[in-house]
Amino acid sequence: MSIKTLMAATAASLLLSATAGLAADQGVTDKEILLGEVEPLTGPPALLGVAHNLGVRLALEEANAAGGIHGRKLRLTALDDGYVSSRTIQSLRKLISVDKVFALTSLSGSGQAVASLPIIEEAGIPAIVPIGPVAPLYTPPRKNIFVVGQSYEEGMHQLALFLANKYPGKKWGVVTQDDDYGVALREGLKQAKDEKKFNVVFESIYKRGQQDFSSEMLRAKDAGVEVFIAGGIISENVAMLKEMEKLGIKPATGIFWPGRVSAMLKLAGPASDGLYAVDYVEPIASENGQKFLELAKKYLSPEEVARINRYTMTGYAGTRVLLAAIEKCGKDLTWACTNAELAKTKDLKTDVMAPISFADGSRFSNQKVQIMQADFKTLGFKPVK
Amino acid sequence: MRSGYFKETIAQQIDLTDSAVVRIWLALLVAALIVVPFYLNPFYLSLLTIVAITAIGALGLNILTGWAGLISLGHVGFMVLGAYAYAISTSIWKLDPLVGLLLAGLVPAIASIIVGIPSLRLTGLYLAITTLAFAFIINHLILEFDGLTRGARGIFVTRPTLFGISFKSDTAFALLCVALAAITLVATLNLRRSRVGRALVAIRDNDIAARVMGVDLTIYKLNAFITSSFIIGISGALYGIFLSYVTVEGFPFLLSIEALAILIVGGIGTALGAVLGTIFIVLLPEVTSMLFSLLGDDAARMLSTGAHELKSMLYGVVIILFLRFQPHGLVGLWRDSKRMWVNWPLRF
Repeated sequence: MSIKTLMAATAASLLLSATAGLAADQGVTDKEILLGEVEPLTGPPALLGVAHNLGVRLALEEANAAGGIHGRKLRLTALDDGYVSSRTIQSLRKLISVDKVFALTSLSGSGQAVASLPIIEEAGIPAIVPIGPVAPLYTPPRKNIFVVGQSYEEGMHQLALFLANKYPGKKWGVVTQDDDYGVALREGLKQAKDEKKFNVVFESIYKRGQQDFSSEMLRAKDAGVEVFIAGGIISENVAMLKEMEKLGIKPATGIFWPGRVSAMLKLAGPASDGLYAVDYVEPIASENGQKFLELAKKYLSPEEVARINRYTMTGYAGTRVLLAAIEKCGKDLTWACTNAELAKTKDLKTDVMAPISFADGSRFSNQKVQIMQADFKTLGFKPVK
Repeated sequence: MRSGYFKETIAQQIDLTDSAVVRIWLALLVAALIVVPFYLNPFYLSLLTIVAITAIGALGLNILTGWAGLISLGHVGFMVLGAYAYAISTSIWKLDPLVGLLLAGLVPAIASIIVGIPSLRLTGLYLAITTLAFAFIINHLILEFDGLTRGARGIFVTRPTLFGISFKSDTAFALLCVALAAITLVATLNLRRSRVGRALVAIRDNDIAARVMGVDLTIYKLNAFITSSFIIGISGALYGIFLSYVTVEGFPFLLSIEALAILIVGGIGTALGAVLGTIFIVLLPEVTSMLFSLLGDDAARMLSTGAHELKSMLYGVVIILFLRFQPHGLVGLWRDSKRMWVNWPLRF
């Protein structure tokens, strides 16, 4: 071998090793892609966090059963933040800098996700936000943060329009929370009220964590409320429904998606029958919901299947969007490619919500919502035709 | 070799340390705290930062609860006031961050007079309930005055530039928090050995006897409230900067309970106890997580669907065991170890 050939071979091998180093970002090996997420896995919000985690795991198990992505198996590291923002930030830093995950499938609740924006944006890591899709997460759009869902404002707007059309000329009562969630619901309701001019005779804002709604419900009864918006999450809505049952009133009641879980129906008892709910996720009782349940039974244990709720579907759908983008990047998986492919997502079918797309320049999937009604007998929700 | 502790004058008694060895160790610790952040990854930097911020708050609460004996559950209320004072002044009014930090101390200090005056006749559980109510009222007022505070929507805050030095990087911000924690530690240690500190401890031990000795209860209790809340307010501002987003949701009531737990576990009434308690309480969840992760992937999988609750219980059990077997807290353990080291093989 001549000196020239030897030099050329050395240069070529150096170039190859350098480009091999650049070929994939952190969290990717020849055999594995490591993903991470932060969510509340302890305390009352675990109802949300654990269900979401099951959805993500389901999507990963399904992909792994099909051979993984380009021969690489998918693995998840989930950290608990207990719904405390400072712990979310610490956990995200751990996932990015110590565990070195390739992408994130959840940034916990809305407040926690908003607090994590600077870290995620600075790191450039692809991140999916399937829980708490609030406006600051996608306005302005950030290169690497993708929000799958619908805004609280639009959801409430659609629920109120449906109730206004179904119950014209009725007296309305509204009870909402004193946080950003409550503000969003009130804004959506205001939009619908401006359009339909319905008559709100009773309005109250309660402090988050309040459990006794006897005073509010008595005032609602005195005001003759016929259409009622229960703007709590789970325990608050249960307390309101129980109180109304005690007072012998049963207005047409609408609830919002964070509370649309079977645990709420179980706790509220027969008073929950006939509740209207709005969501962008399919109800389990629907045909697609049943298909999803069958899929879950295939990959999850019976104890885990029992913990499934709407957040399992949001977790599943968000992860499917991420996996589709990763797959399109081929063998040389990088953050830049994944972010670019995520932005190009068009009509991705997950069967648990409407097809997912990100419009040009947008990082918000703007899912279509549907109205559904609670059935206490089956502890589920059925779509309203 | 040193064979015991013999102090003959008041000056010796109140001296921060009389040992050259301790001074050398302290110098090494300070040097390590300056150098180490440059070598830590963002996760360990965030742990160091949160330890420093929590230590500042715990040192502030120690003045009120540890020294003056006034139990407060309003810790989080003062923190949130400090955070909002900083956020409003720097992000909305565009004032200098240094002014923002000053306001973060002053606003809670002024608020503490409002809560302190009616609390002067209260002690124990009654005072705890009053301060608890204060924390809830503050949250309510912040949400109501949304013209000023942006209500539930919160305020974004950026990392500051102070004296021309940018604290935008994680390392720089960690160093700022560590420096402020060190300043707070020295300041509170000095306060403890001053006339004010002795008066506060006298009030805690027996307020009637303190009054007989000429200690003005009103002045000194208010002094404790103001000083404590000034420091806690600064920790609140730093916590808000750490979160980069200030909202009442980011300051759960758990922070008040955690601050009290820090003082109890560390050893109530000592500045060193507040620091050791902070390190213990903040790092305990991380240590238990690491222990669980050693169990392998199956345990990690189990953690995500239920065993996290087990981790929380373990956290509680460790604290209970600690209180049962070492009621003087970590500082008691530290003193026992020191005595054993000095007096061994004799019994300490």
